[in-house]
Amino acid sequence: MPLPRRLLIANRGEIAVRIVRACRDLGVEPVAVYAPVDAGAPHVRLADDALPLPGDSPAEGYLNSPKLVELARRCGAAAIHPGYGFLSENPSFAAACEAAGIAFVGPPASVLQMCGDKAAARAAAASAGVPVLPGSGSVDDAEAPSAAEVVGFPLLIKAAGGGGGKGIHLVRSPDELPGALRLARGEAQTAFGDPRVYLERWVERPRHVEVQILADSAGGVIHLGERACSVQRRHQKLIEEAPAPGISPELRDALLRSAVRVARALGYRNAGTVEFLLDGDAFFFIEVNARLQVEHPVTEMVTGVDIVAAQLAIAGGEPIPFAQEEVRHAGWAIECRISAEDPHGGFLPSLGKIDGVIEPQGPGIRVDSGFRAGCVVSRHYDPLLSKVVAWGRDRGEAIARMRRALAEYAISGVDTTIPFHRWALEQPAFLGGAYDVRFAEEWDGTAPSQEAERLAATAAAAWLRRKAAASLMISDGHAAGPSSRWIAAAREEGLR
Amino acid sequence: MKFEIRVRGQPQAVGAGDEALLEPLAGTECWRLVVGGRAVPVRVVEHEGRLLVTIGADRVEVGVRRALPVPSRRASAQNGADRVEVRAPMPGLVVSVPVAIGEPVRAGGAVAVVEAMKMQMEVVSPSSGCIEEIRVQPGQEVAGGQVMVLVRVPASGAGEEALP
Repeated sequence: MPLPRRLLIANRGEIAVRIVRACRDLGVEPVAVYAPVDAGAPHVRLADDALPLPGDSPAEGYLNSPKLVELARRCGAAAIHPGYGFLSENPSFAAACEAAGIAFVGPPASVLQMCGDKAAARAAAASAGVPVLPGSGSVDDAEAPSAAEVVGFPLLIKAAGGGGGKGIHLVRSPDELPGALRLARGEAQTAFGDPRVYLERWVERPRHVEVQILADSAGGVIHLGERACSVQRRHQKLIEEAPAPGISPELRDALLRSAVRVARALGYRNAGTVEFLLDGDAFFFIEVNARLQVEHPVTEMVTGVDIVAAQLAIAGGEPIPFAQEEVRHAGWAIECRISAEDPHGGFLPSLGKIDGVIEPQGPGIRVDSGFRAGCVVSRHYDPLLSKVVAWGRDRGEAIARMRRALAEYAISGVDTTIPFHRWALEQPAFLGGAYDVRFAEEWDGTAPSQEAERLAATAAAAWLRRKAAASLMISDGHAAGPSSRWIAAAREEGLR
Repeated sequence: MKFEIRVRGQPQAVGAGDEALLEPLAGTECWRLVVGGRAVPVRVVEHEGRLLVTIGADRVEVGVRRALPVPSRRASAQNGADRVEVRAPMPGLVVSVPVAIGEPVRAGGAVAVVEAMKMQMEVVSPSSGCIEEIRVQPGQEVAGGQVMVLVRVPASGAGEEALP
């Protein structure tokens, strides 16, 4: 099948925008869907057509499988791209698309089934000779205590039907198990519609490295190199980079070859990511993310490959558009995820209406963003607002550009993770490239520097003066020019 | 109108001699502070009578005292000093309330589970005591800061309400 004429994007936010852009580059007509709260969002405005979903809750909206298939048929879309999260790894949805004669841009239902059953994926990896961590199959509450003893503490509870860090809980001792099971199951049910969980041994200070793969229906499998994703909080990635710093060429080579072996063992198709934990020079397969990853742009920046375009070609039955030896790696790329969370308040979600934004630009900077001024950050969805990606000829240049971009980025209306990223990019552990998954725990955020305190006091005084002056003026106008400052000062004098 | 600027309880000297300029950058919160020959982006948010100023990686809480004293909410809440209000940390959906009126609860014990953005979080009691009142039920939407549960604490614990 050649490329579809129309493609329905069953997602929202920055990833829906990303897919719209790939469609434009390929001459495919993108069709968006949107929940009521997302009316007017960038993904809606950029698409050729936008179809409403009945409600804001994920179940009524972006998880509403029958409705999405119906909309695709009604608008004449020959393919559906599920993005990440929501229905992207849901085998029933892939099967429903297939049954309706619509191409699902992702692996076939049978592969999603196997990758989604994390225990089955682990078994497949082990059979391909790739090391795995000790773990259990899916467990119910009654089996959990004995299974936990076998796996050993500390351990992680993970959602069998999930990914993306949702539904993962660390359990250090047997008495924490029941409470953590309850939370993990609740999250797994809400996020994935599947309450099954399994247990896995926890490594104290691992590094997280993953390999991007592409596989076609003719059995071709290639990799696009690795990404380091060890800057995480609550098992959610915050910063990713490619290539991975601080690993030997031998280790890198072993990871890349293992990833391809796992993909072959699973009969994988389309784009996917094979995730590993590194403990020193030892590595363990953890899971396959059978979808486009949030952090795919860092790989695109260093390889020049458009991964979404490759996905569409493969979903149309074509072979991977290039051979392994044609993939060239150049420079270094770093991605910072900008989320509506308060890094100074325990990273709690920050909800509200965004009333202003200035996005960074300039050499080496790519911003994949799914919001604009006027958008509402609601409690229904993941807090990811955008991703800033910096490319440089080497890691130092990429970091310098990222620092510049983060300083330019201004978002008004909600708290964001930008201050955390600005901190991270100054830390010796990050700059040295020797950080592990505990790195983000070093963030404290409660002890501002004296310089910041001094500037904050000055800013507060200036802010109060402006406010007092504005309250007396009919309009504050654009009180930036020297003359209006004179007026403001004069009014203020009158207030004393 | 005069203001007193305090950081960590210490008055800050921000004199009239400070040639600081604050220009709008984006929306209502993002500004460009020009001071001492440097331009620094800052975010200023008014929150419960204080200003939260974000500069780079740092957030500074700036206390502002105005000419007209505003009665402290904390002070007026002293009447119920033997009761602790457990509030929702964020807007969300109540998933469960695993306690019942009259039950004992220890400090750090869960009194509710709230979900927002696909994450579930336990809301814990800051003090040990006894559940006096439950104001929410599963399936209910709560606003950030909304009182969910009241915990009666023994007299010795009265007034020890931790700052958030």
